[in-house]
Amino acid sequence: MEDRTDTEPVLLSKHAKNLLRFLNLLPARMASHDNTRSTIVFFAVCGLDVLNSLHLVPPQLRQDIIDWIYGGLVVPRDNEKNCGGFMGCRAMVPKTEDAEILECMRNYQWGHLAMTYTSLAVLVTLGDDLSRLDRKSIVDGVAAVQKPEGSFSACIDGSEDDMRFVYCAATICYMLDYWGDVNKETMFQFITRSLRYDYGFSQELEGEAHGGTTFCALAALHLSGQLHRLDATTVERMKRWLIFRQMDGFQGRPNKPVDTCYSFWIGASLCILNGFELTDYARNREFILSTQDKLIGGFAKWPQATPDPFHTYLGLCGLAFTGEPGLSPVNPSLNMSMAAYAHLQHLHEQWRSADGRGDEDISVSSAFKQQLHLSKGVEATSTTTTSNSPLISAQ
Amino acid sequence: MGDSSDEEYLGTDWLAYSERSDWEDVQPLAQDDGPNPVVSIAYSQKFREVFDYMRAIIARGEKSQRALDLTTDALRLNPANYTVWQYRRDVLRELKADLYAELDYLTEVIGQNSKNYQVWHHRRVIVEMLNDPSNELELTENALVNDGDAKNYHAWQHRQWAIRSFNLYDDELSFVDRLISEDQRNNSAWNQRFFVIKHFGFTPELIQRELSYTMNRIRIIKNNESAWNYLVGVMRQGDSGNALLSSYPDVVDFVEELYQAGNRSPYLLAFLIDLYQEQALQLKASDSDQLARKVYGLCEDMATKHDVIRRKYWQYVANHLKNQLSTVEQK
Ligand SMILES: [Zn+2]
Repeated sequence: MEDRTDTEPVLLSKHAKNLLRFLNLLPARMASHDNTRSTIVFFAVCGLDVLNSLHLVPPQLRQDIIDWIYGGLVVPRDNEKNCGGFMGCRAMVPKTEDAEILECMRNYQWGHLAMTYTSLAVLVTLGDDLSRLDRKSIVDGVAAVQKPEGSFSACIDGSEDDMRFVYCAATICYMLDYWGDVNKETMFQFITRSLRYDYGFSQELEGEAHGGTTFCALAALHLSGQLHRLDATTVERMKRWLIFRQMDGFQGRPNKPVDTCYSFWIGASLCILNGFELTDYARNREFILSTQDKLIGGFAKWPQATPDPFHTYLGLCGLAFTGEPGLSPVNPSLNMSMAAYAHLQHLHEQWRSADGRGDEDISVSSAFKQQLHLSKGVEATSTTTTSNSPLISAQ
Repeated sequence: MGDSSDEEYLGTDWLAYSERSDWEDVQPLAQDDGPNPVVSIAYSQKFREVFDYMRAIIARGEKSQRALDLTTDALRLNPANYTVWQYRRDVLRELKADLYAELDYLTEVIGQNSKNYQVWHHRRVIVEMLNDPSNELELTENALVNDGDAKNYHAWQHRQWAIRSFNLYDDELSFVDRLISEDQRNNSAWNQRFFVIKHFGFTPELIQRELSYTMNRIRIIKNNESAWNYLVGVMRQGDSGNALLSSYPDVVDFVEELYQAGNRSPYLLAFLIDLYQEQALQLKASDSDQLARKVYGLCEDMATKHDVIRRKYWQYVANHLKNQLSTVEQK
């Protein structure tokens, strides 16, 4: 890689051990994360994958993860509302044999788009073939939470709607290779209406442009095959807004402090627009490493702050975009490793031949391949990682 | 947040639900985390018990005052539990509860959890049910000003929603101006300014007034991206969204004077690069040469002196213009 004068190493094995710990027992102080347990699994499993360390997950634990994820699957009956998808926790699942109680609780068991997205990503990353779920039922659940103006809620009841769930919806449909009744046109309208005067995207409509939501918007356009609908001038202005976020690491908004996770959000957005190579890799790396915990592993949002799985995973992905040795290349739009993405493509081919469908929809994935090969270094490692991937052979 | 120690549980101020006589009739329901759970949380005794009773109440579909109080306890332990919030709303509807009391409760909860999505969503639903936004500007003002985070995304989002839904634009510009005066680098406040002005309409007069306002701000702090972004954003609003930077000679003069006076803020230079680039592309190839050379020179200065971290980007911008001009020439 370019001008790498720094000497500080990425503590690969410490990060792997750190992430592994989160798969087991979490302390009581994390109880407010109860509803998003599957996102913690996502950061840990996908982080280990980016670290090329999935082999550290023993076979039994790997099976337990897959079974626990499937345990959160909600499958509505014909007469029930379309709440299909995954729950991220078990707070609404009672331990009882009583059929009447179990029946009553169904009213409050709904799939949640962010939990469905992370659950699917974990299953794909662990090499599962998704055969235990009904793709249509899940996408019906996605379509059911789409708003008339194109945005998405997280679940059938009780949730706000915004760009985060637009992204989750697009990722779910892309991963399941099925868009069903999801309206891509209104989705596109909602996304472009949320483009601000400075050419970043807002969480919704006229809010402030933000790095995380800009990623959600661009990745959703990319995954739904609509990125080409942006005109060239608009794309150049978006690149400008994104490039200007680099201070040393990246910030999420103008005049805000830098934070490790934006090395992913902004970095991935620039990858999608073919502009990541215009950033300063060395300064980016230097900042991310300043948030590395040398004692217990993991990355924090800021130097000297406490590391957490979210910033650890996104910090690793941010480093992976710069071609950091020892890390697996990352698919920016799907936010998973290229090895997991290769497995997903393999599943798509199987489903398509089973459905008697040809490659008519494959244009999106070939656009993907082109975009992801923007860095030659990444291309080279991509091929080797895919063929040697422990998770593919574990199938 | 949700950090309940067992010491607190054993403390005198907390009576376990299992010891409350008015809860005798309820059989708590444990969580079924499957045979071999992963990412298990070592719930405190209090957390476990409250949610065991919560599940029992939801399973019974009981919508009562005690169910409402139970959700208060559960949400104090985990304010991110969106299902419990939804159940709370279902109870409130069923009881025809006093929603103004609910607003008071929420003001307190938001004060403690001002970056939690669920509490703001709940607030929005309750305000909609009441059809009364009269407390929302004060609530968000507290979250933005008095609580010290003038860039709290949730608070701005809620404020915009209230203003848009209930047409509360009238005094917003003075609020925004106050926040910009307090911190000219508050990008959220500049964004809010755009939101308000857009509502009133980008008439030529309003555009001119906003450009003067922004130039005055830039005179005070020159290296402020938020103000520069706003300036360019407003300029582009003219000519039904297609205005060129050169359509505003007073702004161009202002920027060129700053440059002549020696200012080398990357935002100022970026403005000049965009301006000359646009002009170069407007002209015939033979006349664009001088402007293009200005762009290349500025990009070179950026890459080597004033914005070195973006050196590859500025080289790219220069190359991009070269390519565009050569395509124009071929035509
Ligand atoms: Zn962060």
